[in-house]
Amino acid sequence: MTGLRPALLGIGLLGVLLAVCAVGVQLTSEEGTTADAVLVAGIMASYIGTGLLAWSRRPHNLVGPLLCATGFTYMLNTLCVSDVAWVFTLGSVTGSIFFIVFAQLVLTFPTGRPADRLELRAIQAGYVLALGVPLLFALVSPELEGMSIAETPGNLLLIADIPWLASAIDVAGSLSGVAIIVLIAALMLRRWRAATATARRLLTPILLCGGILIVLLAAVLLADLVVDDGSTAYRALNLAALIPFLLLPFVFLFGLLRSRWARATAVGDLVERVAGRQALRAAIADALSDPTVELAYWLEAEQRFVGEDGRSVLLPSPDDPERAAAPVRHGDVLVGAIVHERTLDEERELVTAAAGAAALAMENGRLEAELRARVADLEESRARIVTAGLAERRRLERDLHDGAQQRLVALSLQLSLARAAAAKDPARAQELLDGAQAELEQALAELRELARGIHPAILTDRGLPAAIDALAARSPTPVEVEGVPAERLPAPVEAAAYFVVSEALANLAKHARAQTARVRVDRVNGHAVVQVADDGRGGADPAGHGLQGLADRLEALDGHLEVVSPEGEGTTIRAEIPCASS
Amino acid sequence: MRSTVLIVDDHPSFRATARMLLELEGYEVVGEAPDGETAFTLVDELRPDVVLLDVNLPGLDGFQVASRLSAKDRGPAVVLVSSRQASDYGPLVGTSGARGFIAKADLSRAALEEVLAA
Repeated sequence: MTGLRPALLGIGLLGVLLAVCAVGVQLTSEEGTTADAVLVAGIMASYIGTGLLAWSRRPHNLVGPLLCATGFTYMLNTLCVSDVAWVFTLGSVTGSIFFIVFAQLVLTFPTGRPADRLELRAIQAGYVLALGVPLLFALVSPELEGMSIAETPGNLLLIADIPWLASAIDVAGSLSGVAIIVLIAALMLRRWRAATATARRLLTPILLCGGILIVLLAAVLLADLVVDDGSTAYRALNLAALIPFLLLPFVFLFGLLRSRWARATAVGDLVERVAGRQALRAAIADALSDPTVELAYWLEAEQRFVGEDGRSVLLPSPDDPERAAAPVRHGDVLVGAIVHERTLDEERELVTAAAGAAALAMENGRLEAELRARVADLEESRARIVTAGLAERRRLERDLHDGAQQRLVALSLQLSLARAAAAKDPARAQELLDGAQAELEQALAELRELARGIHPAILTDRGLPAAIDALAARSPTPVEVEGVPAERLPAPVEAAAYFVVSEALANLAKHARAQTARVRVDRVNGHAVVQVADDGRGGADPAGHGLQGLADRLEALDGHLEVVSPEGEGTTIRAEIPCASS
Repeated sequence: MRSTVLIVDDHPSFRATARMLLELEGYEVVGEAPDGETAFTLVDELRPDVVLLDVNLPGLDGFQVASRLSAKDRGPAVVLVSSRQASDYGPLVGTSGARGFIAKADLSRAALEEVLAA
């Protein structure tokens, strides 16, 4: 944006220079009056001045450039009073362009850009007419702007004087001008009807002034067909059209100022209502006149936004045509965002002021949202625990059915066989009984393994150090147990710590390809901190089945699981479990 | 003539023990199948009098296999077996088309004859 300021300064200087020229034309020509000189200077100053102001504040918005262009092209319109032939010809041919620039400004406010192809085509047609009709007219008529030959310094573009063609062009041009004006008015009405309440607040004064002006100009064009251009009535009508025209940049200025004024009042109300502990969202929605406002709270620890219900929300992207988000900061700290209609971007200051006023209240609301987010997370993890519990019970049933139960069935059948064989074939019966005993031992081993998976007896009987030693001893990878507190911890904490080590060692054996592993448990600040580290290949997935199950189990105890597993650099699983002070 | 039996179960240890027991008690075990599809082929091939059919099979379960076997013209008598109890399956045993149900641990000639006589 560094190049913008000098460019705007240049445009401003050019404006002053051209305004001086325009005033000079008015004062030195026979036709011009001091009043006209003041009027042209006033109109140029107001349009170019407000235009530059808007341009500097909204560099990407076309309203500023359009305001400036209206000021410059209006100057062309005043040149036709000149006594110098080329100035007069230039003014006569280009004098209507300002009207289309102005119509484009009113129609496309507040963006300055056509909303669709129809608007674009209407504006293009306007320019073609505004330049084409006077040009064609000038080629075939020595009289310009309704002035008789005697009054003009001479039409430099004249090719041949063909009166019937000239009047045909005049009539056709005026009629198509009216048609374009009606079309643009209809498009303005369409814009207004389609606008949201917030946008209407901004559009109404602009469209009202623009509408009045467009009606008056249509009247001027029609009057052109029926009354003498030099008549008092025509001049009065022309002047009447200039009043709203002069007004528009001030309406625009008022719009800017009103935005400040609205900020003062609406935001003042907002502060009071927020202090009065009214619903924050409703208060902000009122202050911005945007009932669709949503609040998003920033959770720094989790690097995400949540809504008032604690569920995660994604902010609209910068190119979202409908919605936009304004950050809310308390001091330097991001506390959240106000998500609003995209049209409010035109009143960025108001949104920023609202965000400023709401910061403290949102900081308080954020604590609540954080709690809600925790509740939402807990609800989710509880659902996962229930699901995991069901899956675990199905697995247990399956293991029992396929394992111990089958072996006991076989055992029963083998005993039947042995009984049948006992009398006739004692050797065969002996063989069958041996088989039965082997089957029974297998069944016992499987039941023991299963029971340990449900809850290890050694943990209940002998505590965490013995249970972790047992896990380490069973692990196929050598495990060094660096230290485990000897004192007993609450049973759920011991169980959670045991299963962290058990799951970590099981994963390690299955995936890590590690040479050695280290296990330690410490008591730190009322927490049991469990750490299992290996020198394997890393790349463990914390969202994998076993680790997610562990994380859920820990979360239920207000604990926390951290998995650090860079590819090729081993895996460290660290769990923090609060030990209840009782 | 001795009755011929096909044993359908995905646990080899049960198939082996059941074959031993049934042969000891005077049946002729003509084949074994680990799943439903193999059972259909062997039934067509071996034409057994009785199919001893486990409920829990991979793929088609015992009830589905029983329905298809029972629908056959002059098909075998199907007897469902399981390490669970018949009551665990509710009405499924009755509607499967099987002649009856024997808990695996209770398998014997007497139990089989009782079911086939019913």
